[in-house]
Amino acid sequence: MGTLVDARNIRGVYYTGGKDVVAVDDVSLRVEEGEVLGLAGESGSGKTTLGSIVALIARPPLHVESGALEIDGKVQELGGDARVPRTWRGSVVSMLPQGAMNSISPTKRVRHLVWDVMRSHSRISKEVALERARERITTLGLPARVLDAYPHQLSGGMKQRVVTIISTLLNPRLLVADEPTSALDVSSQKILIEMLLEMLDQKIMSGVIFVTHDLPVLRTVATKIAVMYQGRIVESGPTRLMVDRPQHPYTKALMSSVLTPEPKYSKIRIEGMSGFDRTEFDAPAVIHS
Amino acid sequence: MALTKYLGRKLAWTIVVFFVALVLNFLLPRLIPGNPVDAIVGQIAAGGGAGGEQLQKIHEHYMQEFGLDKPLWEQFFIYVGRVLRGDFGTSFGSYPASVNHLVGQALPWTIAIQLPAIIVGWVIGNVLGALAAFKGGWLDRGAFVGSLFFSSVPPFAFAIILLFVVAVKGGILPVGGAYSFGLSPELSLTFFGDAITYFWLPFWSLVLVFIGTQAVGMRSMAVYELGTDYVNYNRGLGVRDGITIRYIFRNAMLPQFTGLGLAIAGLITGGLITELVFSYPGLGTLLFNAIGQNDYPVIQAITLLITLAVLLANFTVDVLTGFIDPRIRAAQSGER
Amino acid sequence: MSFRGLSPRFWVAAGIVTFVVLVGVLGPLILRTDPDTTVGGLYDKPHCCGKLLLGTDNEGQSVLVNLVYGTRTSLIVGLIAGAIATTIGLFVGLISGYRGGWIDDVLSAITNVGLAIPAIVVIILVSVSLPKRNIYTLAMVIGLTAWFWVARAVRAQSSSVREREHIDVARLSGAGFWSILGRDVLPYLLSYVVMAAVLQVSSAILFESTLSLLGLGPGDATSLGTMLYWAIAWGSVRTGAWWAFVPPTLMLTLIVFGLLLLQSSLNEVFNPRLRRGRAARRRMVTQETQPETVGAAGLLTGSEPN
Repeated sequence: MGTLVDARNIRGVYYTGGKDVVAVDDVSLRVEEGEVLGLAGESGSGKTTLGSIVALIARPPLHVESGALEIDGKVQELGGDARVPRTWRGSVVSMLPQGAMNSISPTKRVRHLVWDVMRSHSRISKEVALERARERITTLGLPARVLDAYPHQLSGGMKQRVVTIISTLLNPRLLVADEPTSALDVSSQKILIEMLLEMLDQKIMSGVIFVTHDLPVLRTVATKIAVMYQGRIVESGPTRLMVDRPQHPYTKALMSSVLTPEPKYSKIRIEGMSGFDRTEFDAPAVIHS
Repeated sequence: MALTKYLGRKLAWTIVVFFVALVLNFLLPRLIPGNPVDAIVGQIAAGGGAGGEQLQKIHEHYMQEFGLDKPLWEQFFIYVGRVLRGDFGTSFGSYPASVNHLVGQALPWTIAIQLPAIIVGWVIGNVLGALAAFKGGWLDRGAFVGSLFFSSVPPFAFAIILLFVVAVKGGILPVGGAYSFGLSPELSLTFFGDAITYFWLPFWSLVLVFIGTQAVGMRSMAVYELGTDYVNYNRGLGVRDGITIRYIFRNAMLPQFTGLGLAIAGLITGGLITELVFSYPGLGTLLFNAIGQNDYPVIQAITLLITLAVLLANFTVDVLTGFIDPRIRAAQSGER
Repeated sequence: MSFRGLSPRFWVAAGIVTFVVLVGVLGPLILRTDPDTTVGGLYDKPHCCGKLLLGTDNEGQSVLVNLVYGTRTSLIVGLIAGAIATTIGLFVGLISGYRGGWIDDVLSAITNVGLAIPAIVVIILVSVSLPKRNIYTLAMVIGLTAWFWVARAVRAQSSSVREREHIDVARLSGAGFWSILGRDVLPYLLSYVVMAAVLQVSSAILFESTLSLLGLGPGDATSLGTMLYWAIAWGSVRTGAWWAFVPPTLMLTLIVFGLLLLQSSLNEVFNPRLRRGRAARRRMVTQETQPETVGAAGLLTGSEPN
């Protein structure tokens, strides 16, 4: 299993009117083929920003000052004035946005969006495009009639799955999912995760970066977890290791703040994170390769 | 089908409102103490045209003519019956001219100015607003402030200034009226060529103000749309810009349509006053004169016409919105 | 709300409005002349200084004095009518939105009919029938026809407030209907009400001048609208006596522009969604009932602006 995506030295800064905010501070990460990399952290850690940079959709006031993305041997510069080719978006790296509720224009049917996405990338006839979409939808267990629906006619969970399918219509190499489960109830979450893993299995996409603050979800879906704190990755490694034997003080605090009903955990004291003294979190990063 | 239910409801509502307007139209002027016939007869008497007994006869004649001798509710039914037949009665001030005749003469002039002004203003205004939002930068700032100013100036104030600057001082365009003295309205090229010079100033004073309002509104809507999730998503999937812009335009236009329906009343009013400023022989001048003469039938006819125009415009807007926005029909028919 | 958050637009608007108010309030005090006194001939040209600064009108009266008194009249009418409209609309909207039920149905039906019928029509019909027209009757008529859209907008806001937790808390702690309305619901709506009030005043001033132009203005006082009426009726535009109509036009434009600018700058402060940049997550499906930027033509509808 080779390396799918190699992101190097990414630095993202928000140019606000006054002080500039460094959201991503010299981060490098790697995603292997067939892997789900979980990107965890609290609000403000920079994980969503990093996700959007890797998904090639960063825009002002967010500026990518430096960084490079290597996929399939092709290197794309991200920093400074680098122009990202439009066709990379959606077909090489694709995004699954937070809150699918509004991702489809309310006055258009789903099939319009499908058609727009497909014809923006290749010369394809409408019938062929819709046929492909129909095939994909039914393969993944959804009724073909969703194509004809307006967004307000679909339930929340359904919408999220439809958007997931649209995001992967072009079989992107990497899918960056930003909090895909946060707006869903638990059963919908399960269905969505199963669908994502099914898609990975069928090689619809070759790798996923799963950005979330929801640790229990990562435990079930991620192969590797990288924890971010204040714009940096403080620890990363295989899921089992990260959850059971975290080494960095921040990771320890993060993991222990999760309530789990399994019996063995009831013996462990919940330490939580101290709100005031966070200096111990500035310990050097620990990377388990 | 959801659409027909929606339209049916809107139509029923329009009819109800029109009826209420009819009642108001009939009732309100009759709340005055005193009697317009007394005023007319008083004028005749003051002019020394007739003696006591004759005045009596004239008084009776007018009372019958205007139906003022019957009880109120009976008058109302007569009134409604007449309106539905399109008969608006006889003018008090320009007796014995029929109201229909007076209004019929003035109406085409008003429509000739207002209809094109509204359409042109709406189209140009929205395009300008959308452009300003997309391009941003100096075009945006300049257009925004300019539009804000134009939209804040009361339409007649603008008309006055235009009249003064362009016609009186500049002498470029004629000062008032609809056509040159000596010509009479006919379907000929010469008449048209002449009338058009009188047309420009009132037309432009309406259009520019309307462009201002539309541009400001459209810009806000477009700016809002540019920040929405679906635009972001489209970009994230590599959809071509041209396609996304079309989505944005369509979504931003919806409230502009509704806004048009709401603004119609103000536009029409502004238009009527503008006619006054330019001595343009449309409904505005007619109304002005009628008010001066306490000519109730004419006043009532014009107010009813205004109400009808507004209701019609709103209904049309509702119909169009129903076609464009699927959510409206769904919400109305309880699909959600 | 801190003063630092206020944009330059706000200060410009506040400046304009203050200027006009000062003219209307201090002007008559400084000039101390009855606007009906004759000071010169027919349409005398302006020359420095004092009462003839802006020349004379068709009755030989000082334009400057009339302008100042006219501003005051227009402002008074605007304020009274605006206050009436906002108060009634607030009252009706609060009860309708918060109470719900059949009261809501009845009040909403009335409001919707009132909104559908163009206000100008009703105002003309009533004004024509009035036996006596003065500032106060005019202000009342305008105010009584303008409250509908305030009611509808307030109703939308208060019915959504009804669902909030702090209302439940108030109810549980035994607060009565009126107490809740006054102490829990109203403060929440305050920013909105302020903006609506500003719009109402501006709209009322426009209505008054429109009426005056049609000849339905106050019979006993000078207003900016009546000045324009006389200016047009006596053909001052044609004869080039610009001092008869330009000053009232400018003053009128200034007031309306200032108030509208004020409303739009307040709107941006209270509703950050309208600013450029990241938009709010929630997308309203139906028309947001907010007083967004309007134009002068829109004000004459007396109904909800876009």
